[in-house]
Amino acid sequence: MTASLVANGVSKTFGTSKVLVDIDLTVDGGSVHALLGQNGSGKSTFIKILSGYHRPDPGGEVRVGGRELHLGTVGAAHALGARFVHQELGLVDSLSITDNLALGSGFPVRYGTIMRASFDASATEDLAVVGLDVNPQMPVERLSPAERMLVAMARALRAEKAGPVTLLVLDEVTAALAKREVERVMTAIKTVTARGVGVLYVTHRLQEVIDLADEVTVLRDGHRDTQAKVSGLDKASLVRLLVGHEVAEPGRQPPPVGPRIESEAMTVRGLKSPSLHGVDLQIRAGEVVGIAGLMGSGREDLLGTIFGVQRPSAGSVAGPGFSICAGKPRECLAAGIAYVSHSRQLSTAGSLTARENLTLGDLSAVWRPPLLRHKRERAETLVWFRKLGVSPGDAVDRPLWTFSGGNQQKIAIARWLRCRPRVLLIDEPSQGVDAEARAGLHDLLLGAAREGAAVVTSSSDVEELVGLCDRVLVMRDGRVAAEVTERERTTERVTSLLHGPRLAGVS
Amino acid sequence: MRLPRRSLGLDRFSGIYLWALFVLVFGLWEPGTFLTKATLDSISSEQAVGAMLGIVVVLPLAAGVYDLSIGATANLSAIAATWLQDSHHWAVWPATAAAVGCGVVIGATNGFLVVKLKVNAFIATLGMATVVAAVQEIISVSQPLPPTSQAWAHLSGLEIGGIQIVVVYMLVLAAILWWVLEHTPAGRYLRAIGANAESARLAGVNVGGWQWLAFVVAAAVAGIAGVLYASQNGPSTTFGTALLLPAYAAAFLGSTQLRPGRFNIWGTVLAVYVLATGVDGLELATGVAWLNDMFNGVALIVAVAFAVWRQGKTGRVESAPSADSNSDSDVRDRLRQRSVRTMLTLSRRYMYSGQQRKPTTE
Repeated sequence: MTASLVANGVSKTFGTSKVLVDIDLTVDGGSVHALLGQNGSGKSTFIKILSGYHRPDPGGEVRVGGRELHLGTVGAAHALGARFVHQELGLVDSLSITDNLALGSGFPVRYGTIMRASFDASATEDLAVVGLDVNPQMPVERLSPAERMLVAMARALRAEKAGPVTLLVLDEVTAALAKREVERVMTAIKTVTARGVGVLYVTHRLQEVIDLADEVTVLRDGHRDTQAKVSGLDKASLVRLLVGHEVAEPGRQPPPVGPRIESEAMTVRGLKSPSLHGVDLQIRAGEVVGIAGLMGSGREDLLGTIFGVQRPSAGSVAGPGFSICAGKPRECLAAGIAYVSHSRQLSTAGSLTARENLTLGDLSAVWRPPLLRHKRERAETLVWFRKLGVSPGDAVDRPLWTFSGGNQQKIAIARWLRCRPRVLLIDEPSQGVDAEARAGLHDLLLGAAREGAAVVTSSSDVEELVGLCDRVLVMRDGRVAAEVTERERTTERVTSLLHGPRLAGVS
Repeated sequence: MRLPRRSLGLDRFSGIYLWALFVLVFGLWEPGTFLTKATLDSISSEQAVGAMLGIVVVLPLAAGVYDLSIGATANLSAIAATWLQDSHHWAVWPATAAAVGCGVVIGATNGFLVVKLKVNAFIATLGMATVVAAVQEIISVSQPLPPTSQAWAHLSGLEIGGIQIVVVYMLVLAAILWWVLEHTPAGRYLRAIGANAESARLAGVNVGGWQWLAFVVAAAVAGIAGVLYASQNGPSTTFGTALLLPAYAAAFLGSTQLRPGRFNIWGTVLAVYVLATGVDGLELATGVAWLNDMFNGVALIVAVAFAVWRQGKTGRVESAPSADSNSDSDVRDRLRQRSVRTMLTLSRRYMYSGQQRKPTTE
């Protein structure tokens, strides 16, 4: 059987940084090849090269189903029979399954009219391929997450005039699924490979690699670190492959000067939501606490649910002098708990100026009735710009959207640092921020902690957490499953805890 | 990443240049009739009520919600005020107060529908406009007679230093709302809500409360404007609807002036008067009657299209990496899309409500 995908010497350089170096990868027809790697290791760049979104550096070659892929052209891979399913499935929730199936490839029509009956019949067949037995008339919004995923897969696999599907690329599709649901997806993937389609499977979940994959490739910093047969590997050895043997302790700032303040800042009790199953947290003043967890562990929702981005179904937040229900932004702020979202759409307003965004958290300092003191506001904003190194440094009256992502993030954080919160909750603090700015942001957060604030940060980047935090809480299945204290804090230990308790003793 | 400097002004002040051009052209064209105090008086006072409505829709628009009921509210207030004086022999001031009270009640109801029941503002206020029109018909089957008291005529027609008092009201109102929007925390909160309601909520802004207040103030001022219109022109039963779209046109046009990309008060006032000057001049010069609608419509489309094009040139292209802009035009688009989507979703829900989900294989 010809290989579904052969990549030879694929490299990609953005500006001066090499993101992928000389990657070779082969996916045999009818097999599953897992692609592993930490955040920023180059997985998604590789996928984007396959799909034609990025043009690789000259010299590499990719063949799909034996035919050469014209690199850097959107749609070329599709024409050769490669299909992509991403974590954002690209389904329209309010449309029916049949309509969603047809969105990519079109409806069967006669005289310009959609042939409903035959179409529904073919939709049922398409769904059967992935083992989904539901009424194709149903709107997608009424399906479970796993079923939606299967619909997206069925859509990718639909027979088209262009020719048979040879390669299916699944990019972290199970990330948001619960364990039980993942099994349905696994079964579907096995059905697909039985038809001779090769699957390139990107995931963070090691158990899935062991259960499903024939081969595994591990990327680290853009290099192919390992390529191995999966049979004979266990979870512990995969963790070692993933983290690498020589985990260097990331440089850590000197320990805070002076005595640590050890008073309670915030205690969360019994926090529950669809993705959280009873979380308790105890946060002390002056410490930086990291929250780690894979996608789907509840980690990405925890801080937002405390503050009220998502509605918790239960849970309380208490601290010195306050006791409130979780999930109410205004009450949280009154209690001195501030929150910076991972999404700039939630943390800032792009059409307001930088100054207006910065001071929105607390206008009392610049409101001297009957006027808002714009001059004073500008001066204060300039001070924060200088403190955080926002560039351009004098553009305080520009709309926020004209700033780069990293600078927007700095302004979002400055809004709350300016209010001197008791607790600062911050999701993905350095998302979209370059390495230098990242160090600056870390300094800011550590500075806030030194002045007595508690900083709680959740990140998908374990190395960042280990470098930044005093202790790291590891979440699994909607609960805090483990705590890594200051002394035993290593990337390897946290990573192994992400994947399950049995491995806790390995490192 | 370079924005037009503040001093350039060709786009920000295009309205003022255009205004000067109109005065010049029509001054040369019809020197005898156009460049007279009579023209100035008629333009300024005839447009004052329209300008008030234009100003007041800026408030809900800045907060990211439409209020399509202000026209109907103004009309109901006008009819209520005259009817109370006519049929119930109320004095001018109590009748006026009652009429404005109508506005407050309508605004509060709008707020309840949008904030508490989460009905899309576009739909809620459109429905409210129709309900208000029906209420108006209930209280007055036919057009009421204009009250004859001196105080009623003076309400809008009193002259202060040669200027009709209705113009003064309009300027005072504009100044107050400008102060609120640009120089108080309330204005900041309203704008934050309009720019991105969810981020405003997460910044601790009471989104529902401020939107509610915007509805109440908009409707109350619309009530005042309606009473003034009736005092000025007599109690028409249809003027409200006719003033609604021009008010929005002025607000949108105003958002391309002085502070482009933001709904703003003085830009709106400017827009109203530039358009009125153009229309009046053309009517004087040509004697054609359909110019008003044609001119207003074309000017609105051209000005907004130009502003969008400018925004595309100065913003999106040059700052491609952070294209997640939330400009007011985006907000408008989103509002429009949202209302359409709501209707689609409602119809889908209805269609599928009978179908039961088959048990899945688990």
